[in-house]
Amino acid sequence: MSAYVQSLLGILISAIISENFILVKFYGICPFMGVSKKTDTALGMGMAVTFVMGIASAACWAVDNLILIPLGLEYMQTVAFILVIAALVQVVEMFLKKFVPALYQALGIYLPLITTNCAVLGVALVNAQNGYDFLQSVVYGVTGGLGFTLAIVLFASVRERTDKSDCPKSFEGFPLALIAAGLLAMAFMGFSGLKIF
Amino acid sequence: MNLKQQFKEGLLTKNPVLVQLLGMCSTMAITTSLFNGIGMGLSVTIILICSNVLISALRKVIPNQIRIAAYIVIIAGFVTIVDLCLQAFLPDLSESLGVFIPLIVVNCIILGRAEAFASKNGVVASALDGLFQGIGYTVALIIMCVVREFLGSGTFGGGILNGGEGIRILPEGVPAMLMVMPVGGFLTLGCLIAGAQWLVKYLDKKEKAKEAAK
Amino acid sequence: MKKESTFAYVLRLTVTLLLITAITAGALAWINSITEDRIAAEKARKTAEALSAVLPGGGEEVDIPAVDVGVPVNRLYKGENGYAVEVAPSGFGGTITMMVGVDLEGNILGVSVVSHTETAGLGAVAGDKTSKGEAFRGQYVGQSGELAVSKDGGVIDSISGATITSRAVTDGVNAALALVANMG
Repeated sequence: MSAYVQSLLGILISAIISENFILVKFYGICPFMGVSKKTDTALGMGMAVTFVMGIASAACWAVDNLILIPLGLEYMQTVAFILVIAALVQVVEMFLKKFVPALYQALGIYLPLITTNCAVLGVALVNAQNGYDFLQSVVYGVTGGLGFTLAIVLFASVRERTDKSDCPKSFEGFPLALIAAGLLAMAFMGFSGLKIF
Repeated sequence: MNLKQQFKEGLLTKNPVLVQLLGMCSTMAITTSLFNGIGMGLSVTIILICSNVLISALRKVIPNQIRIAAYIVIIAGFVTIVDLCLQAFLPDLSESLGVFIPLIVVNCIILGRAEAFASKNGVVASALDGLFQGIGYTVALIIMCVVREFLGSGTFGGGILNGGEGIRILPEGVPAMLMVMPVGGFLTLGCLIAGAQWLVKYLDKKEKAKEAAK
Repeated sequence: MKKESTFAYVLRLTVTLLLITAITAGALAWINSITEDRIAAEKARKTAEALSAVLPGGGEEVDIPAVDVGVPVNRLYKGENGYAVEVAPSGFGGTITMMVGVDLEGNILGVSVVSHTETAGLGAVAGDKTSKGEAFRGQYVGQSGELAVSKDGGVIDSISGATITSRAVTDGVNAALALVANMG
């Protein structure tokens, strides 16, 4: 197996498990807390984020390597990336509405929330920082999204139960959810440093 | 709106992190040393004031349909300015906060205040709102930092005091490393929000009792 | 009539957004022109500091031989008693840029971190100028061959709670050793 394929596998493992976007790196906490009351909506959000993160990684890579770096405008990365992502989310929304209405029905309501999801901007910035090539960027984007999905679905199923449990009044709702997330993060800590190659 | 009311809202009753539950990514990710917390808090406060002022000044010029896009561009601009200035003048801080500086762009506090306050109010009020919300955010970060640093590393003031090592309070080996790891972020913020909810309710009750007594 | 007004409206939207973006870009270009030199100077200062820390007497920058050592190599310096290699392994929070000094026999003279984005209190210890940081980096001095952290059966004790960072630093050191071994 070539070193390149190994590097892709390494990215995959670390993005999904050992450096999980939410539970280890803290990207995308807002949707993680906001859209995790039910398992099926959590799954929908996860899929939407994965979709956008994959496309955004590709688009931001192109903007960065074909426009910004040749022109020496690296300092415009943040502005350019967020604009690309905002435009992309709009386009994806319109495209799905028109051509894939079934998918739009499933993901549509989550799409506007994704522009301000720091997982998406985060993945674009980390790609640029680590100097990933096109394929590595896309793999990192998609698998980062899958890691996000894994965490949010696991968390939603925990939350469905904690919401019905008895606890001190001040801890009701959000604080209890955060503590449950903390326990989940502890479980993921077991994977830290996992290395398969 | 009076000053005292706005101040109280920013600090406690409408604290961006503890009550409005905004901007939690950075709150948990970077609060492992006091230096980080103060640096992040100040950066966000400066950006928040600047973007609030500009957005409020332009609120009648920007058409409604494209307002979110315009806000994002303005905010991203200020964030990049702060990022470049930190890299040039405070390289240690910039290094230590890393990718979370550019990620301020998508920190919901800033876009949230632009949409909820600056787009409807005057320049001065918006500036003050930015200042007080920023202070509220900074205070929440500092509390997180102090608690996590104390329990996790057993020190106070890491990154600033005592040549960067911080002042040791607990002896080596006693502190639970866990608290500076991601887990600690979730647990500390959970307890902190619970505390804030309790305090808000308590103050509310006291206020009502006072009114009833009148 | 209605069509025209819609057109005018869309035009107004486009022009407003374009103006805001253009002004932002202009402001950034201006700020960048002010800070650019300072940022570059700051980076150069850090690199020079790291170089003199790992290669006493400093060295001249030379061409990097085209060998794949598994980790990106930024620069290579040749000094009187050895080489200094600037490598950039990926740590927990992103790239760790570090300088490794290696003497002519292939023993490590020193390790110094130029820049990193690791978590404060955990991985960041690798680059800290504190006693803990010095102790961690000090472990590498005098070592040679292929190194590994204790979790992987090696001799390097990881920074507690930061296996990924410790591994990355070790990877960087190994790459530097491999490169210098290749120089003969």
